[in-house]
Amino acid sequence: MVYYILRRLISAIVVMAMVGIFIFLLIRLTPGDPAAIIAGPTASEQMVASVREQLGLNEPLPVQFGQWAQNTLRGDFGTSVFAGRPVVQLMKQRMEPTLSVALLTLFVSVVGGVTFGILAAWRAGGFVDRALTVFSALGYSLPVFVVGYFLIYVFAIHTRLLPVQGYVPIGQGLGPWFAHLILPTVALSLPYIAFIARIARASMLEVLSEDYMRTAAAKGASPYSMLYRHALKNAGAPIVTVIGLSFAYLIGGVVLTETVFNIPGIGRLVVDAINNRDYPVIQSVLIVISGIYVLINLAVDLAYTLIDPRIRY
Amino acid sequence: MKISRRNVMKASMTIGAAASFPSLLRAQASTGGEPVKWSHGVPQAFDPYTTTDVDIGDYAFGVYDMLFGLDSKLVPQPQMIGDWSASADKRTYTFQLRDGLSWHDHTKVTAADCVASIRRWFQTPGGSLVQQRAQDVSMKDDKTFVITLKEPLGLLIDQLAQVSTYPLFIMREKDADRPPSEAVITHIGSGPFKFNEELFVPGANITFDKFEEYVPRSEAPDGLAGGKIARVSRVIWNDFPDQQTAVSALQAGEIDFLGAPPADLYPVIESDPSLVLEDLFKSGYNYFLRMNCLQKPFNNVKARQAMLHLINQEAFLRVINPSPQYSRPVKSLFGTGTAYTNDANTDWYKEGGDPEAAKQLLAEAGYAGEKVVILDPTDWGEAHNASLLLASEMRKIGINAELASTDWAGLVTRRAKKVSVDEGGWSIFISSATDFQFGDPTTAAWMAMNGEESWFGWPESAEYEALRAKWPDVETLEERQVLAREMQQVWWNYASLISLGQVVSPVAHRKDLTGLVGLKTGNVPMWNMQKG
Repeated sequence: MVYYILRRLISAIVVMAMVGIFIFLLIRLTPGDPAAIIAGPTASEQMVASVREQLGLNEPLPVQFGQWAQNTLRGDFGTSVFAGRPVVQLMKQRMEPTLSVALLTLFVSVVGGVTFGILAAWRAGGFVDRALTVFSALGYSLPVFVVGYFLIYVFAIHTRLLPVQGYVPIGQGLGPWFAHLILPTVALSLPYIAFIARIARASMLEVLSEDYMRTAAAKGASPYSMLYRHALKNAGAPIVTVIGLSFAYLIGGVVLTETVFNIPGIGRLVVDAINNRDYPVIQSVLIVISGIYVLINLAVDLAYTLIDPRIRY
Repeated sequence: MKISRRNVMKASMTIGAAASFPSLLRAQASTGGEPVKWSHGVPQAFDPYTTTDVDIGDYAFGVYDMLFGLDSKLVPQPQMIGDWSASADKRTYTFQLRDGLSWHDHTKVTAADCVASIRRWFQTPGGSLVQQRAQDVSMKDDKTFVITLKEPLGLLIDQLAQVSTYPLFIMREKDADRPPSEAVITHIGSGPFKFNEELFVPGANITFDKFEEYVPRSEAPDGLAGGKIARVSRVIWNDFPDQQTAVSALQAGEIDFLGAPPADLYPVIESDPSLVLEDLFKSGYNYFLRMNCLQKPFNNVKARQAMLHLINQEAFLRVINPSPQYSRPVKSLFGTGTAYTNDANTDWYKEGGDPEAAKQLLAEAGYAGEKVVILDPTDWGEAHNASLLLASEMRKIGINAELASTDWAGLVTRRAKKVSVDEGGWSIFISSATDFQFGDPTTAAWMAMNGEESWFGWPESAEYEALRAKWPDVETLEERQVLAREMQQVWWNYASLISLGQVVSPVAHRKDLTGLVGLKTGNVPMWNMQKG
């Protein structure tokens, strides 16, 4: 197991290095000049050239790459071209809102999705099952921004129950923090609840038709015990896979939610950085996100061993 | 576990109580001294000597102060200056700072700071005219400095007060000693508002606190002149990436001010009794297309004139801003509301455009189907819409127009290329500037026609440049107005830049936010406003 984890971590480093090289080349080969953005729309060519010189963008590409790789290996992600602040500091500022939205959404999605899926499988063909079909279709097909605007209208403008937008750090109080996360979480979790519920339902249906489930029923096991002790454990592997994937998608996919609800998270940071060609920020954030992806995949693989003792690495 | 009606009722009540809990908290938290919250872009760069970014203006007007400020009639008035005089030969100007000026780090503003700031400003396009004429800038004592000129410059005070491009904001000597290519990253000014470093989230929000030590002038506030009195203790700017959300936040009272609401939401704002839609600027943004005068087909004057006749400004205004009461055509090089707006050589303007005349001119230019590349910034809605319409209109008269879709960052890189379209160059791009900026041909980069030295598109006209060179030395307004007519005569004959029309952006704010100062520059300063 330890050998397996080490091997995966080493391969993660290789993957991240490849991601780093790819991102470095991609953003520099994309047309765009941060110096021209800084200088502004009506700046003269001379002013743009002067800013470019200051930023070191006149250096040859291999030199720029060498400097960046050296600094990154030392853990120095550089300084934002625009904000003039260390990228690590910017990421720290933006990570809390994104993680708050992502983790709360994951929690709601897992609890809602698994519960919904189990109930639908338990009463396959019944009302709950049909409701899940309708809900899944809606959850998949309604874009986040449509749901977001609808929720804002109903709960923020019409009834004034919740705030329209923004983020309050958890350090400033649990109540305001939670209040600002309710609408984004609901808007973002709908497709994930639908996704997890569909997978949970399918896995559970498969398990529920197994012989040992009939045996458990014949031995007088309660419905609760049958569902949660026997069936869910055996149906767990695909559900955990989906949850892991969902979290990975969430980290990278909260951009639209952050935009609609004006949350200053990592998604907006990277979108703004791409628009402005803020190279150090783009490179660093994408490398960190790729690292999170790799670690989540590793965590999911390790979770299999807990769910299914037959799996060994 | 049994699902009974009673359990469902219990669960519903619990969820309802939990959902209403946050709103109760919010109501309690909103009492007390409230900051004023704006929806406002957060500048990408903060040094006003390194950028012409539109968001920088409101920031710099709050944090820094200026020697002279333009009043609402665009006449320069002393701001940091208490007293000033000019020698009889108009070559030596002596300026004395008024009392009570101090920096946000609590040190005193001195003449040395002003001298260093002026020298830094000299290195920007905003200060280049004065720099060319200046012999020396020196400090006489702690409160007095002198500008000595090689030859008189009638526009000296206007230039010190100009805010069209790279205005002269006064910085601390140690900041101003940096060349403009090295951005100042501190936010220490002497203006009425302090930048709150601790609460700053780059790209998302800025907090400004009232600078208690600021001593405003005794005159009433008037544009950028007069008393800049901070009547609120804190102003917070939030950068809303989505304008629909910003309008919702304004309706819900989460923000007090929205700088440029989208035109399609004007009816929503107007129908809300707690909101006001107000034309603060009494001016607007002039949209224009710029042609590449170095490459075919627009290296031919007839082809450029064809575009002048082709453009139907009313149609372009409809796609840029669908609200007719906030848009108007622009016929003068000097905009619609500057002191130099005139009607010389504007016969080309015809409501609805004149495609037949355009076709005729195109034929006279010998146009042979060369590819015309329009740079289309898809991340700037107004310019994107206008680019799509432009391509369609050009194709209608037989021009082989092609859209090169890009984002603004890609556009600003490509527009610097002087090569042909086959080698990655360009033919046309669309941009905009405030109407106010068209009133100063010495600082508006796009109003020069000095060939490869000029702004992107590189038009060249010795005749026009000879007239433009006279501008700084013309003594009276009337004489300058005559000169403006002569310049415009040449300008429209050359036709390197074509007007697409002017759009006025009203601001939206809550009714209880009063005292907002509107500037023709398109800026909204933070002083004088009050809430409640």
